[in-house]
Amino acid sequence: MAYTPQYGPGQSVVAENRRKQMNPNVKLEKMRNVTDEDIVLILGHRAPGQAYPTAHPPLAEQGEPDCPIRKIVTPTDGAKAGDRVRYIQFADSVYNAPSQPYQRTYTEMYRYRGIDPGTLSGRQIIECRERDLEKISADLINTNLFDPARVGIRGATVHGHSLRLAEDGMMFDMLQRCILEGGTVKYVKDQIGTPLDKKVDVGKPMDDAWLKANTTMFHSLVGTAYRSDAEYIEYIQRIHSLRTKYGFMPVE
Amino acid sequence: MTEAEFPQCRIVTERLLKPETVEKILNKLAVIPGIRRIVINGPSIPQKVPYGPARGLDNPHSGRATIRVGETDVDLRVQVGTLLLELETRDIVSQIEEACKEVFTNFSYSVKEGRFMRSTPTQVDYAKFGPDANEIMLGLVDPKNKTGPTLIQGHK
Repeated sequence: MAYTPQYGPGQSVVAENRRKQMNPNVKLEKMRNVTDEDIVLILGHRAPGQAYPTAHPPLAEQGEPDCPIRKIVTPTDGAKAGDRVRYIQFADSVYNAPSQPYQRTYTEMYRYRGIDPGTLSGRQIIECRERDLEKISADLINTNLFDPARVGIRGATVHGHSLRLAEDGMMFDMLQRCILEGGTVKYVKDQIGTPLDKKVDVGKPMDDAWLKANTTMFHSLVGTAYRSDAEYIEYIQRIHSLRTKYGFMPVE
Repeated sequence: MTEAEFPQCRIVTERLLKPETVEKILNKLAVIPGIRRIVINGPSIPQKVPYGPARGLDNPHSGRATIRVGETDVDLRVQVGTLLLELETRDIVSQIEEACKEVFTNFSYSVKEGRFMRSTPTQVDYAKFGPDANEIMLGLVDPKNKTGPTLIQGHK
């Protein structure tokens, strides 16, 4: 019998959004159009138009050893060309940001190849070959996984995901990489805090109703309360119970 | 040590404040007679990038502004989210609430009475200020920071 993954439990809108993001058969909704050049500027790893620096010669030139695994796994474009490994890191506000670190990692592992995500409480980093990274970043920024105000692209000094929002609705950023100007959010620094020569427009912040309907985070004050999802509670209690009993008698 | 009999109160806003709003509320508070000390609190905004590959670069930030309170310039080093006040008498709490109501119109806030400032010197205070520290300085500024508190001309 073919296995159909369920992706996660829950009956609430948050649970449904989590499943939608994780399921690779559901197309991510395109929300904005940040150009490839602008994404290169925000990432700050190379100048736009510059050739990709390499970490090793292209695989075709370097002579691969005879290895059955290498025959099964097709290398990604970046690996094939010998690109450096580079990163993008996101901080997601607890106030109904569309995604959050664990969710991002699950989503990316289901959807992309050749990546190394790192999950922390307030930030999530994804490392991969540079040209693959730019494609993945474009997906992560241009779709419903991103909100210009509640999600920050922050390579270092990420503090702010759990703080109160600023008066204009922006998440606190001690380096103020992006500013709200004329109703749209503009990046004035790249992800590590180096000033950019031009402002990079990443579009309008989404309104509260959209965020509440599209978030993958439970929040009892501004969003959907965790306790309102009975199935999720049941699931987490079962996991907790099994983990606690494990080693003694792991049966249900 | 700060005398325990001075009442204190804490203003917490739902949003982190812009420098203009901080200026507004502080100017409202500065004209209320009977506030001894004010501490403004919030996440720090550093002058230079503190971590990462860009460490040491200048950090231009609109929150790190100079505001004018009464006749005095105050350099903000944090994005303000909490104000701690030490009062001479509890009677002026209603005036403080009134000031908050006038300034914080777009979001909620809370004004609580209690004890929020340090009343005994910590080890760092002792190391910096010595045994005869000025009591009024305790809990008012970061003892590791070279800049002291700002004095605002009062009514007395």
